Amino acid sequence: MSALIEKLIPESLPDEPGEFGPLRRKALKVLMQHGFPHRKVENWKYTPLGLLESRAFENATGPSEAPWPELPALPFEASVLHLHDGLLDPARCRLPAGVTLEALAPADVDLSGMDDGSPADAFAWLNLARLQQGWRICVDDHARLERPLLLMLTCGEDFDRVAHPRLKLELGVGAEATLIEWQQGQGSGLINSVLDIELGASSRLLHLIDRHSEETALIERTTVNVNAESSYSGFILDGGGRLTRQDLNVNLNAANAHGAVCGVAVLDGRSLVDYHTAFEHRVGPSTSSEDFRILADDQSVGVFNGRIHILPGADDSHSEMNTGNMLLSRGARINTKPELEIHAEEVTASHGATIGQIDDEARFYLRSRGLSDAQAISLLKFGFAAAAFDSLEPGPPGQWLTDQLKERLSW
Amino acid sequence: MLNIKNLHVNVGGSEIIKGLDLEVGAGELHAIMGPNGSGKSTLGYALVGRDGYEVSEGSVDFEGRNLLDLDIEERAAAGLFLALQYPVEIPGVNNAYFLRAALNAQRKARGEEEVDSMSFLKNVREQLKALKMDEALLKRSVNEGFSGGEKKRNEILQMAVLQPKLAILDETDSGLDIDALKLVAEGVNRLRNENRSFIVITHYQRLLDYLEPDRVHVLSDGRIVESGDRSLAQRLEREGYAFLEAAEA
Repeated sequence: MSALIEKLIPESLPDEPGEFGPLRRKALKVLMQHGFPHRKVENWKYTPLGLLESRAFENATGPSEAPWPELPALPFEASVLHLHDGLLDPARCRLPAGVTLEALAPADVDLSGMDDGSPADAFAWLNLARLQQGWRICVDDHARLERPLLLMLTCGEDFDRVAHPRLKLELGVGAEATLIEWQQGQGSGLINSVLDIELGASSRLLHLIDRHSEETALIERTTVNVNAESSYSGFILDGGGRLTRQDLNVNLNAANAHGAVCGVAVLDGRSLVDYHTAFEHRVGPSTSSEDFRILADDQSVGVFNGRIHILPGADDSHSEMNTGNMLLSRGARINTKPELEIHAEEVTASHGATIGQIDDEARFYLRSRGLSDAQAISLLKFGFAAAAFDSLEPGPPGQWLTDQLKERLSW
Repeated sequence: MLNIKNLHVNVGGSEIIKGLDLEVGAGELHAIMGPNGSGKSTLGYALVGRDGYEVSEGSVDFEGRNLLDLDIEERAAAGLFLALQYPVEIPGVNNAYFLRAALNAQRKARGEEEVDSMSFLKNVREQLKALKMDEALLKRSVNEGFSGGEKKRNEILQMAVLQPKLAILDETDSGLDIDALKLVAEGVNRLRNENRSFIVITHYQRLLDYLEPDRVHVLSDGRIVESGDRSLAQRLEREGYAFLEAAEA
C-alpha cells in the first residue's frame, strides 16, 4: 500500500508543528512503519482501497473557495453545525444554551483504542497525522436539549481533496441529547473522519445518521464511551457511495451502561458500504443490542461485521445481535458476519444472520389486494428495512429518519 | 357477474383444471366442494391471476370484461378478492398501513378519491369490533405471529374493508373453532347483498349451515361433476364423495 502512502501523505505537505506536533509525529511513525491495510488484513478485506489509489487528490488544505451550499430543510428545529468539504466554520454554528464549541486540544485525543502495531487503524492514525481541524462539543451536566444537534456534512461537486475532520462530543452527567449526522457527498475527494463520543453518567444520546456519500469516499471511525447508567442509541440509514467505510465501536465502560445500534443500508448502482461495529462489554451488568439490515440491488456491495465482546468481569451482561440481508439482483453481493466473544459468567448473548430475497408469495398477496407490482416490492423492502427502526422512539427526528427511508425505497 | 367457460389451467406443466364451466350471478353465493387435489384452490388462484397458474384454454368473463387480460392488481381493483387458505405473513409491514395502502391503490385505479386516515380508521375499528378482533392487531405486522383463527379473521377484515364485488373464500373455515367459524360466517353474511357474490371453497357442511349457499358444486379431477342446492352439501356430508364415483360408474 505504498501507493496509498504517497497519495495520502504527500511529501509536499508541510508538517505543521503546533501543539499537536508530538501526536502527529507518532501517527506518521505508525503509518510509515505499518502502512495502510491490504486485502489480507481481515477487517479490511472487503474495503476497495484501490479506489483511493486511482483517484487524484488535490493537496490543498484550506477552506474551499466555492460558496457553502444551502442546508436542506428539516421538518423540525435543530441546532446546526455545518461542515463543508470536511471543515467547520464556527461562525456559522447555531448552538443553544448548555452547549459549547471549542477547538480540540491534544489532551482530548484518546489513543487507548488505537492499534499502533498493525495497519488496522491506519486511517485513524492518518486523521491524526494530517489533522486540519478538531472540535470539541460539550453538553452541560443535566442539560436536556430540546432541539437536536444537527451535524450537517456536505461536499461540493468540486471537492477533490482529502479532509480529516475530527470531532468529540461530550455529554455531561445526566444530560440528554439527540445528534443527527446528515451527510451528502458529491465530489470525488475523501473524507477521513473521526468522531469520539463520551457519555457522562446517567446521560442519554440518540444518534441518528442519514448518509448518502455518492462519489465522495468516506471513511469514518466512531468511538462511543458509555458510562454508568448511561445509554447510547444509534440509528443509521446509509445509501452508500463508491466507498463508505464505517467503524463504530461502542464501549460499555460501567455498570448498567446500554448501547444499541440499528442500521439500514439501501444500496443500488455500484455503491458500497462496509460497516464494522463492535460492542465491548467491559463491566457488567451492561446491555447491548444490534439490528443491521442491508438491501443490495444492481451491482452494489454491502458488508457488515458485527462483534460483541464480553470481557472478563463483565458478568450479568446481556447482548443480542441480528443481521438481516436482502439481495435484490443477481449482481449484488452481501458479506455479513456476526461475531461473539464471551469471557464472563452469567451472560446471555445471541446472534443471527439471514440472507434472502423478495418473497414471491408475499408479493402475490400484496398484489392480490390491489397494490401494483412496484408498490408491492417497495412495501416489502420498506417492511423489511423499517423493522430495524422498530425501537426508534416516537418524535419528529425518528419520524424524519423513517420518512427518509420511505423516500429511499420509493414508498 | 362471473361466467367461466371451458377453463383449463396448468400448474408446473400439469393440467389441474380440465374444462370447468361456472356461472355466478350477482348476489349469489356458490359453494365449491370436492376431494383433496381436485383443483379447488387452483381455481381460486387462476381467477385472481397468480403467476404459475397458466390458463391454457377457455374464457372468464367478469362483469363484461375478460378477466384473463387483467393483471393481478387490476383484477383486485375490478372487485375480485381471494381469501387465502394460508394467509401470508409479511414481517415489518404494519397491518393497518398495508390495508389502507391497498384500499387507496384500488380506489385510485378506479378513479375514486383516496380515503383519509381518520375515515379509514373509523371504518376499520367498526369492522374489528364486529369480528371481535383485538385492535392491537392493526399495529402488528400483517399476519405475523397471528393464530390460525386470527389470520382467517384478518382475511375477512380485509374483505370487509376492501368491499369486493366477488369474494372467493378458499377454505376459510379450516382450522377454526366453532366460535371463530360463526364470526367468520357472520362477517360474510354482513357483506352479502344483491350486488356482491361469493364463491366459498370448503370441505365441510358446517360453514354452509351459516351461509346458506344458492348453489353447491362438486369439483372432481378439474371439472364440476355435480351441482345442486344446499341438499347436495348435506348429502356429501352424509355419504362422502363415493356416491359420485358410483354414479359415474
